Amino acid sequence: MNVLVINAGSSSLKYQLYDMRDESVLAKGKVERIGMDTAILTHEPAAKPEVREVSEILEHTAAIRKVLGMLTHPQHGVLERISDIGAVGHRVVHGGETFSGSVIVDEEVKREIRRLFDLAPLHNPAHMLGIQAVEANLPDVPQVVVFDTAFHQTMPARAFLYAIPMVLYRRHKIRRYGFHGTSHAYVSERAAAFLGKPYDQLKIVTCHIGNGASCTAVLNGKSIDTSMGMTPLEGLMMGTRSGDIDPAVVPYIMAKEELSVGEVSSMLNKHSGLIAISGISSDVREVTEAMEKGDRIAGFAFEMYCYRIRKYIGAYAAAMNGIDALVFTAGVGENSAPVREVVCRELTFLGVELDEERNRTGHGKERLISKDGSKVDVLVIPTNEEWVIARDTYALVSGGQVPAADAAAEKLPWRQPLDS
Amino acid sequence: MQVKRIGVVGGGTMGQSIAEMLASQGLDVVLVEKTQEKLDHAWEMINYALDKRLEKWAITEAEKKVLLAKIHRTLDIGETASCQLVIETIHEDMEAKKEVFRELDRICPPPAILASNTSTLSLTELAETTRAPERVIGLHFIYPVSKIQLVEIIRAVKTSEETYAGTRRFVEETIQKKGILVYESPGYVTTRLICTLINEAMHTLAERVASAEDIDAAMRIGYSFGYGPLELADRFGLDSVLAALDRMFHEFGDIKYRPSFLLKQMVRAGRLGTKTGEGFFRYDKDGDRV
Repeated sequence: MNVLVINAGSSSLKYQLYDMRDESVLAKGKVERIGMDTAILTHEPAAKPEVREVSEILEHTAAIRKVLGMLTHPQHGVLERISDIGAVGHRVVHGGETFSGSVIVDEEVKREIRRLFDLAPLHNPAHMLGIQAVEANLPDVPQVVVFDTAFHQTMPARAFLYAIPMVLYRRHKIRRYGFHGTSHAYVSERAAAFLGKPYDQLKIVTCHIGNGASCTAVLNGKSIDTSMGMTPLEGLMMGTRSGDIDPAVVPYIMAKEELSVGEVSSMLNKHSGLIAISGISSDVREVTEAMEKGDRIAGFAFEMYCYRIRKYIGAYAAAMNGIDALVFTAGVGENSAPVREVVCRELTFLGVELDEERNRTGHGKERLISKDGSKVDVLVIPTNEEWVIARDTYALVSGGQVPAADAAAEKLPWRQPLDS
Repeated sequence: MQVKRIGVVGGGTMGQSIAEMLASQGLDVVLVEKTQEKLDHAWEMINYALDKRLEKWAITEAEKKVLLAKIHRTLDIGETASCQLVIETIHEDMEAKKEVFRELDRICPPPAILASNTSTLSLTELAETTRAPERVIGLHFIYPVSKIQLVEIIRAVKTSEETYAGTRRFVEETIQKKGILVYESPGYVTTRLICTLINEAMHTLAERVASAEDIDAAMRIGYSFGYGPLELADRFGLDSVLAALDRMFHEFGDIKYRPSFLLKQMVRAGRLGTKTGEGFFRYDKDGDRV
């Protein structure tokens, strides 16, 4: 069966087509600038040259139609007929408390994704457009949704609640959800397999460090805590996001600088993090380069960025009362040897011993970068969220099961609200 | 019909502010002015407004670039032919506005909507200069347009249901502002109520009931106004306040709209508010209180 994986944004759409017999990628590509008369479709078939096409694509249904046209194109295509697509899998950022695993799309699932628009106003509406666009073009093909938040639904209440009035959780579902779940799940499971150890008996900290960045404590195969919160702003210092900050700073800045809610939110999400401290770039590569050329401010920003990652690793080792493996993944995690080196340098008290040579070589592969005999195994595992989406989609439409987190398992020990 | 491209005719303060807001919503704007000099000035002011927003972290450099690229400048009103909606924002002069609407009527094929940002002139009279008055409607924005989330949608006598529905969809879904429905009447809701308050504040000041500072503090702090009525008048421009009051006084014939003598005096003395640096209060060239 061929499975098409879609990641729909508000004005873009990425796709990847898998042949699930051997899990090979037949083609991938993206549509950018949806809504304009100069939208760009970039199509990369596996064994043929890349194609780029500029045309008018005004909405997502037209974008999917274009993609399907390209996949079955006599020259650039990889399929004979559109009906060769057996299922479609979508990435969905927010599954709230409803979804602790991937599910087949039906009316109720769509209603629930809509209900979650409030919690992910930038993402879920765009994903919904993607689902509807596929429906319009491929009405008989089953669709599956895979949620970024699902893996973290195993977190206990002590980790997911904020210590603010409980009524806010009850009324608005304000709590930690965490993100990058598909990635954290994939790389932690791969790490166990790589080490040849049972996944359900390991204490793993996974660091997904890309444009957005988060750390997760994976205890016996389950997420028990993660650094991103209700939104992807909490936790680590990121390219343009502040990460953790004293919440009292926000109203203080708003008063001092006369900022509106929108302005302060833009400040924290787009003008903070690495770009704010380095003053050069939000890109770790550029900051590293400047640092290596002797730019002291870049060096400081880099140090601060790594320090915050190290703090979370320490915290999660404490949360699990130990750590067996430390995993780096995503753009920066997979490619920046200097980040991994600086993060690990002062984790020797935990028993982390990085092998500098291994850290700098073996690019692009799953690999061990700690010394033989290091108490903690340090690994680089390239993430592959699209593959997880394809795998879950295939399993579900073939009538199989996919692992679901046994969500919010425990009964919360709170008092009955007086007002209900 | 989905509105994706919007003509803005007139690049004064309101035109600039509307064009900037539309572009930040990702819409394509055709900004029309009469002379190159005015067009350049409008462009400069839009840039300046964006730099101010950048300073407040509301946007990034990249977003500013994308936003500016959305605004197409021209001296040729004919270029509004490709727009689904045209908003006229020239100065409040009935004859000049009629001329613009006659041209738009000729240039823009239906079902394009023709809107005016007038706050006091009769839309019905304006609509009558076109061959299809049913597609003429009022869209009264409030300055600064990017920040103020309210728009008055004004139905003239012949405005059709389709025109109104399309405009309302545009306001609430496309630019995501709160739209209120107003039937044509001088000053609509916003101008009528705020100018009456401003006028009363001036009477209060003229009668020496309280100082300008204290009158403003009373309303600002006492009733959570962003600005007090006198500073608000300075920011509107006292000449504009006077013109609006005169118009309402004339149309309604009710003395409650008769402009305060103090207002007339200040306008004659050229103390027009922020734009001249002095009105009831003093301002620097950025419009901040001194």
